[in-house]
Amino acid sequence: MTRIKRDTIAYLLIIGFSLFLLTWAIPLYTPAYPGYGASASLVPNVSVGVMLFMACLALVFIGVSAYTKKPMPVEEREFPEDLSDDGGFTQVGRLNLPHLAKIMIPCVLLVVGIEYIGYELASFAFLMVIQYVIGCRKWVQSLLVAIILTAVLYIVMRYGFGVPVPGPQIFE
Amino acid sequence: MEMIIAGLLDSISPVSLIYVFVGVAVGVLIGAIPGINGPMAIALFIPITYYMTPLTAIGFLVGLNKGAFFGGAVSAVLLRTPGTPEAAATSWDGYPLTQQGKGEKALRMALYSSVAGDFISTVVLIVIAAPLAAIALFMGPSEIFALISLALTVIAGIGTTSIGRGLIAAGFGILIGLIGTEPVTALPRLTFDVYQLGSGLSLIPVAIGLLAFSEILLQLEKFSGKGGGQQCTHEFSNKPEDRFLPLKEFFQSFKTLLRGSAIGIGVGAMPGLGAPVASFMSYDQAMKRSKHKEEFGKGRLEGIAASESANSSVVASSLIPLFVLGIPGNLAAAMLMGAFMIHGMQPGPLLFKENAQLMYGIYGSLLLASLFLLVIGRFGLRFFCKAVNIPAMILYPIVMFTCIMGAYLGRSSMFDVGVMLTFGFIGYFMRKFDYSYVAFLIGFILAPEWERALQQVVIISEHDTFMFFQRPVAMGLMVLCIFVIARTFWNSFKEGRKKRAIAAEQAKNG
Repeated sequence: MTRIKRDTIAYLLIIGFSLFLLTWAIPLYTPAYPGYGASASLVPNVSVGVMLFMACLALVFIGVSAYTKKPMPVEEREFPEDLSDDGGFTQVGRLNLPHLAKIMIPCVLLVVGIEYIGYELASFAFLMVIQYVIGCRKWVQSLLVAIILTAVLYIVMRYGFGVPVPGPQIFE
Repeated sequence: MEMIIAGLLDSISPVSLIYVFVGVAVGVLIGAIPGINGPMAIALFIPITYYMTPLTAIGFLVGLNKGAFFGGAVSAVLLRTPGTPEAAATSWDGYPLTQQGKGEKALRMALYSSVAGDFISTVVLIVIAAPLAAIALFMGPSEIFALISLALTVIAGIGTTSIGRGLIAAGFGILIGLIGTEPVTALPRLTFDVYQLGSGLSLIPVAIGLLAFSEILLQLEKFSGKGGGQQCTHEFSNKPEDRFLPLKEFFQSFKTLLRGSAIGIGVGAMPGLGAPVASFMSYDQAMKRSKHKEEFGKGRLEGIAASESANSSVVASSLIPLFVLGIPGNLAAAMLMGAFMIHGMQPGPLLFKENAQLMYGIYGSLLLASLFLLVIGRFGLRFFCKAVNIPAMILYPIVMFTCIMGAYLGRSSMFDVGVMLTFGFIGYFMRKFDYSYVAFLIGFILAPEWERALQQVVIISEHDTFMFFQRPVAMGLMVLCIFVIARTFWNSFKEGRKKRAIAAEQAKNG
């Protein structure tokens, strides 16, 4: 998929999302006008309106370029050759959804796991899994990192900051 | 005069010196950790200061805050995972320098700019706090609304090649910033019946997700691409020109540094804007005024100078409204206000009258904190650079886990961790699709204050449409705002037309 096709889909999604917000979410989930001041939905509507307008404008530009057969600048049509190495503000590139899933799924499982099996076990398991996912195959190293990091954060939270450790407590 | 000398002598007592030094050192370490910033550190250490004298307590806490601002730059430069939101702009040029093996040089620039900006701001605080605060007293809701509008329009174009995408991101950020309790009716808005959203989304998990976690997701892609077992670390060059920062090179960015300090002082003295706004505005101005615009974002030292001088200047200048009017300008100042009150002092107009010697002692401590930051940063540089030489297979899990727990620490809530992961996910897509996460973050930070000012204007003026015409400063700022929008769109249109002409020429030539 070229960059311009991907951007077109993104603009269409933004337009859909904006319309959803304007027609359903904002009217339903903002308080009614109390009779003074500005309406609670004013600023949300303006911000979503800006999103909608700019997305529509971008689609118009893309449409006009396609209709007049005038090519868009190459940096807007194609992906940079060097993924994420162009430095600076933009890190435009192709999505890597399998990689994203490989990282996000253990993170989500950590959040859920902490509530059921406690911070100590969930964090240890998470660190072992994430090191494996990243590519570390040195089991002793992984074990040491997982144990030490879990313990250090436990001590820092519990005794350093006096913050309750999340989830059910094993060592109490 | 005796009072001034007595106050300054108090600040150089051995106990006071030790506490300020320790405060700065702890602040640097804490600021480098994503999720823990200056205000949080102040809140955590306030109980420790119960048993200190007022001077040592305030000196310690201010040192903590100053150290945290530089600490955020350390992780921003070396890992591109800013420890604090205001260090994000530092990472744009700092990290490319690290990739080129010049991480130590980038850190030196960050340190010297941070110290310089902080020192200038502290001198301004001491010299002209009262006149500046008198101006701030005239800032009503109209002026604050106009000022925030201007800040939003200036920043919309940062962090993206397209102003349109910047505005979409800013709009989205404003929308997310409005989730929570509506200020007039005090009823929930856009909470989707999720009770944890009743108080809105906290800045820390959103900032960690957008700035740090999404960056880690992107950096880890390189490992997936090159094969899982390979360890990639950044090599630091041993060449003196890549490690050290000669005075001549530092002074090449001096004008930028002064401009950044001025922006930081102005922004810090205004309640509600904050260090991230100062940092991004300074960076934007440095880039626009530079003869080497194209080098920004690829390792330009000027970019680091702009960002660090601005965000560090906010530390002292945010104390101006606190000391003179008793109004905290930002979260850190609010925490310090608590510390003052714990020690029996009420910040405000009478503070100087009733505690003159103490206030001059605090000024002395502020200046000493700048000096200690220079010393600690200078000797800590080697240690920081070595920390990055930890194999990536160990470093990235540590950083990821710290992000996750850092998000939890703020409110002891796993919901915040979920928020952090969500915005990490969103941030990944924003970066890949070239939507400015900076504009999003600034919109998110400024939205509540912006709407509050608007509501105040509408209520006070009783729906008078021409209310802004009665406030010349607000009127001037709104005109400037419209000018900035028009100029940005015009420049974007001209640049787009030029690029399309080049593309057409290239297509014609085959």
